[in-house]
Amino acid sequence: MKMNDTLYRKRRLTSLVGLTFSMSAMAVGLAVLIWILFVLFSNGLAALDGHLLTSDTPAPGTEGGGLRNAIVGSLMIVGLTVLVSTPVGILAGVYLSEYGDRSKTAELTRFVTDIMLSAPSIVLGLFVYAIAVATVGKFSGYAGSLALSLIAVPVVMRTTENMLRLVPGSLREAAFALGAPRWKVSTFITLRAAKSGVMTGLLLAVARISGETAPLLFTALNNQFFSTNMGAPMANLPVVIFQFAMSPYDNWVRLAWAGALLITLTVLVLNILARVFFREKVGS
Amino acid sequence: MPDKHLSSQFDSDLNNISSHVMELGGLVESQIRQAVYALSQFSPEAADDVLVIENKVNTLEVEIDREIASVIGRRQPTARDLRLLMAMSKTTANLERVGDEAAKIARMVKSIIESAAPRSLPSSDLRTSAELASGLLRKALDAFARLDIPMAVSILREDNEIDKEFDGFVRKLITYMMEDPRTISASLDLLFVAKAIERIGDHSKNIAEFIIYIVKGEDVRHTPLADVESSMA
Amino acid sequence: MSDIKTPVKNAIEVRDLNFYYGKFQGLRNVTMNIAERKVTAFIGPSGCGKSTLLRTLNRMYSLYPGQRAEGEINFYGQNILDPKQDLNLLRARIGMVFQKPTPFPMTIYDNIAFGVRLYENLSSSEMDDRVEWALTKAALWNEVKDKLGQNGLSLSGGQQQRLCIARSVAVKPSVLLLDEPTSALDPISTGKVEELVHELKTDYTIAIVTHNMQQAARCSDYTAYMYLGELIEFGETEQIFFKPNKTATEDYITGRFG
Repeated sequence: MKMNDTLYRKRRLTSLVGLTFSMSAMAVGLAVLIWILFVLFSNGLAALDGHLLTSDTPAPGTEGGGLRNAIVGSLMIVGLTVLVSTPVGILAGVYLSEYGDRSKTAELTRFVTDIMLSAPSIVLGLFVYAIAVATVGKFSGYAGSLALSLIAVPVVMRTTENMLRLVPGSLREAAFALGAPRWKVSTFITLRAAKSGVMTGLLLAVARISGETAPLLFTALNNQFFSTNMGAPMANLPVVIFQFAMSPYDNWVRLAWAGALLITLTVLVLNILARVFFREKVGS
Repeated sequence: MPDKHLSSQFDSDLNNISSHVMELGGLVESQIRQAVYALSQFSPEAADDVLVIENKVNTLEVEIDREIASVIGRRQPTARDLRLLMAMSKTTANLERVGDEAAKIARMVKSIIESAAPRSLPSSDLRTSAELASGLLRKALDAFARLDIPMAVSILREDNEIDKEFDGFVRKLITYMMEDPRTISASLDLLFVAKAIERIGDHSKNIAEFIIYIVKGEDVRHTPLADVESSMA
Repeated sequence: MSDIKTPVKNAIEVRDLNFYYGKFQGLRNVTMNIAERKVTAFIGPSGCGKSTLLRTLNRMYSLYPGQRAEGEINFYGQNILDPKQDLNLLRARIGMVFQKPTPFPMTIYDNIAFGVRLYENLSSSEMDDRVEWALTKAALWNEVKDKLGQNGLSLSGGQQQRLCIARSVAVKPSVLLLDEPTSALDPISTGKVEELVHELKTDYTIAIVTHNMQQAARCSDYTAYMYLGELIEFGETEQIFFKPNKTATEDYITGRFG
């Protein structure tokens, strides 16, 4: 095969230039990420001692202290959010994909969901403040969960719908061909087939809300002491970090770094889990 | 013969086989011609010619059947194509046997010549029916090439005539033998010749039956003539 | 036009069926019968309507708005095109196997049990028996009897398709519709499925769509040749492949396309 040498060399040069640009961009991105992690680790590691999980947030001026109340608080608020938004999001996603499809209701729902997906979380926080805090007269963990749910549900809904759409129509038809009613096809077959994709969506939603600060500022606020009462203000990691990071107290600053590290590690682990799940789905 | 398939290779395979069958027909026809000549002129050279062509005929028969098996295996033919191939295989067999009959005639003629039999044998009658049979074969091959149904039916009718001729000749020969017992040996040779001629007529009839099989899809091999004529009408 | 000479009971009778994808007419005035406990094959070039026709027989098209059928399809005397027809019940009695093997995302056992559980209340030992029976019918039991708990997707392509057949057979339908069941399979798996069809027809009425003419010739008792939405010829397979009545049919099966 006769090759035109100059043409070939020009192509190779173009390819090389393109590759160089993309790899440099990747290197830059990677470098920044590593820098962030490094800073987090170096600052936060110092504060990771036994007291972190056993002591509560220290009063201003006191020495030592931990993040126990904030960790428990975050777990409870996020836990309740997951409990609420999972069924709502999944069922809504099932409706959009399997039942609504092109109907006006479905189109409207998708439109609203898309808006909410990109709504600033602080706006959502203020909204929940107006309806669930100001009306009742106090901040609460419940209000915090509500605000986080408003962020999580659209995410779960959209991912569920997208994952369900990926299930081939032939699988549904095979189930219908046995005489299965639509609701059984949707749940036992289609949803099951999209299981790992939906789980991934859930994990990513949780990762997203773990670090949301603004909504919690107006709803759960914070609590200096250990409390499991969700009807009252509740300690949580994001707000604690916010409060402690810029303070003049050394131990507060250290604890803020530790908190930031904890959240980052959680998000990292959740993302890794999501990846593992998804690879299982693709692998089968 | 066939109209075009999507696969031109299939078409050329079928055309190949057809032309080989026609070639075989031509060879066999020349065998009969020579045998008839040998019979009428008592010519030993003509008789030998018939036997020489025998080899070519056998080789061609084997080759045609090999080609047919190959096409059936490779193409899984159906309907008209299938019937055509089945018919060509059987026609080949029939033609080869016609060749055998011509060779028998040639051998009988040689035997008659050697026995120096009297020329008063009623061999001229035989010449007429031999020419009839030869003409019938020519007709059958023509009709096969054109898949001509009316001609095929008339061939079925004509073979009946040849059969009647044969019966008549046998009666004549018996009378001849009873008159002069010294002629029995030569007469028996002549009888075999007559039988061979009658069989050539039968083979032409078979070929005509295959034409009907190809075109109409009906196997009329053991159907009485009257029924065949009415169903082809 | 029906050319059946022998008096055979019909499981399904199609009368003047017209089918529309929106404005496009997919089937024109199709009238034919599907004989009980026999295999009827549909052949014809792409777009001739054979799959469309098959999918009207179990009202699969009803899943999609914009697709509609007019005419009559009588399933043992009951017109299934009636809007009051219970579709789920119908599909439990007329099963379908598709071109692409589609095992459900569950164990092999559950794959088979799923359909059965829809309409029957079997004890766990009865269900075990039914699963074994169905897998045996599909010539798959020996290959999977030790791994019923494994996911259906872990089987090979040919095994998956036989699993789908077992799944359809398990609910004991009257009719089995096979839509190009071996198109995606290798020759050996294809052979096994064809052998299966031959055995199944003693108990089930089977209709099969295939673009492989030799498969129709091998497997079926009756063959319908379709072209551009119309039924061109219908008759006993032996007759269609030995001496079809219509030139158009003969041209198609002998490979003469204009």
